[in-house]
Amino acid sequence: MADAIRPRTSSTRYRTIDLVTVAMLGVAIGVVFWGWNQLFAVVSGTALFAYPPSSGLISGVWLIGGVIGGLVVRRPGAAVGTEVVAAVVSGLLGNQWGMSVLVSGLIQGLGVELVFALFLYRRWGVVVAAAGGALAGAFEAVYEWYAYYADWAFGYQLVYLVFLAVSGALVAGVGGWLLVRALAKTGALDAFGAGREHHDRAAASSTSPSPRA
Amino acid sequence: MRRFVRDANPLVLLAIGTLAIVASLAVRDLQTACLALGAYAVAGVVLLPSPRFALARFGAIAVASVSLVWSTWWLGGRDLEVALTAGLRIVVLALPGAVLAAYVDPSKLADQLGQRLRLPARPVVAFAAAMQRFGALRETWGQLDRTRRARGFGPTRSPLSRVRHAVSLAFALLVSALRDATRMSVAMDARGFASAQRRTWAEPAPWSRADSALLALGVALAAVPWLVR
Repeated sequence: MADAIRPRTSSTRYRTIDLVTVAMLGVAIGVVFWGWNQLFAVVSGTALFAYPPSSGLISGVWLIGGVIGGLVVRRPGAAVGTEVVAAVVSGLLGNQWGMSVLVSGLIQGLGVELVFALFLYRRWGVVVAAAGGALAGAFEAVYEWYAYYADWAFGYQLVYLVFLAVSGALVAGVGGWLLVRALAKTGALDAFGAGREHHDRAAASSTSPSPRA
Repeated sequence: MRRFVRDANPLVLLAIGTLAIVASLAVRDLQTACLALGAYAVAGVVLLPSPRFALARFGAIAVASVSLVWSTWWLGGRDLEVALTAGLRIVVLALPGAVLAAYVDPSKLADQLGQRLRLPARPVVAFAAAMQRFGALRETWGQLDRTRRARGFGPTRSPLSRVRHAVSLAFALLVSALRDATRMSVAMDARGFASAQRRTWAEPAPWSRADSALLALGVALAAVPWLVR
């Protein structure tokens, strides 16, 4: 029983809580994706008619699964796993891209995962998260060049990539990082590194003399 | 005929949907696009339990398709045929998977992933467990919604207020899902989930002859645009 909440001894072996959290986060985020898919059809309709590549600017929402999964569970594969489960759920609920979401989910998750791996799964700050979101966006854009926007002129394809990377960095990267911090404050992440760091910060700020005291 | 898809192996349904992506890569002109789409349409009319449902899914994809026709026409040299081809290509890519996804049962899928594809058991079971909580998540969403309204934090009629309401519900849902995950993993480990040496599965993961036939059909359908182009 203690296995579930014991502090980690190895950084690669998944505890049960890690596995279940990746899956549950994936399911919850997949539902959010599904909701966003419906909204996207409306919003992107307007964006596409004004200036087509600008739809990349609002696509960062779909990259947030990998960032959150990685930042919470902090193990190799957590980012890919969360994003893929989220993609599966949003695909099973039904969407306008069919099974292409599975490919997208895998590619987006790998983008985030690669950045976390580059920092040897030791850095979990906002800059790393933003870089992960940006790379995920770039990966996804290249996939979409082949799957959806094959006949756009190359210049526009590049603009789309840049827009998607920026959106990934801001919405998924910075947004995901802020979201994980907010989740840590609720105590929901107490079994994870992000939760422990929150309590360390809280303890440090309560022992240091505050100006009001 | 019509029960084939409903009883089909979820792996086969996912494979057919994924093969449609491969098919779409071969669509380079209008004729290929029409032939590929026609092949899928004929198969759908013959095999699907409810062709009307497929039409509903087609409606959602049509919106994406029209916007793609427009953007390809504008950014791809203002060639109508190229634009229409791009619009049809995304229908080939998305429609089979979007329709078949509705017939995938998550528990059966997990059984197949674990027992037939022999993926690592612990992640597969965690996935199945989380999918089972899906209904509970929806219930939680309803409870959170009612609670916020009852306490006077409900949304007004403005769209901005509705979005804010939805965002705060989504955050609360995420917290609830994480707490659920903690509770569930303690319960799973109490039953020896982490340290088990030998695992058994509650349900079998059968593969029938009809599954092989459906898979072959999926491969054939995906081959159509590659052969005629």
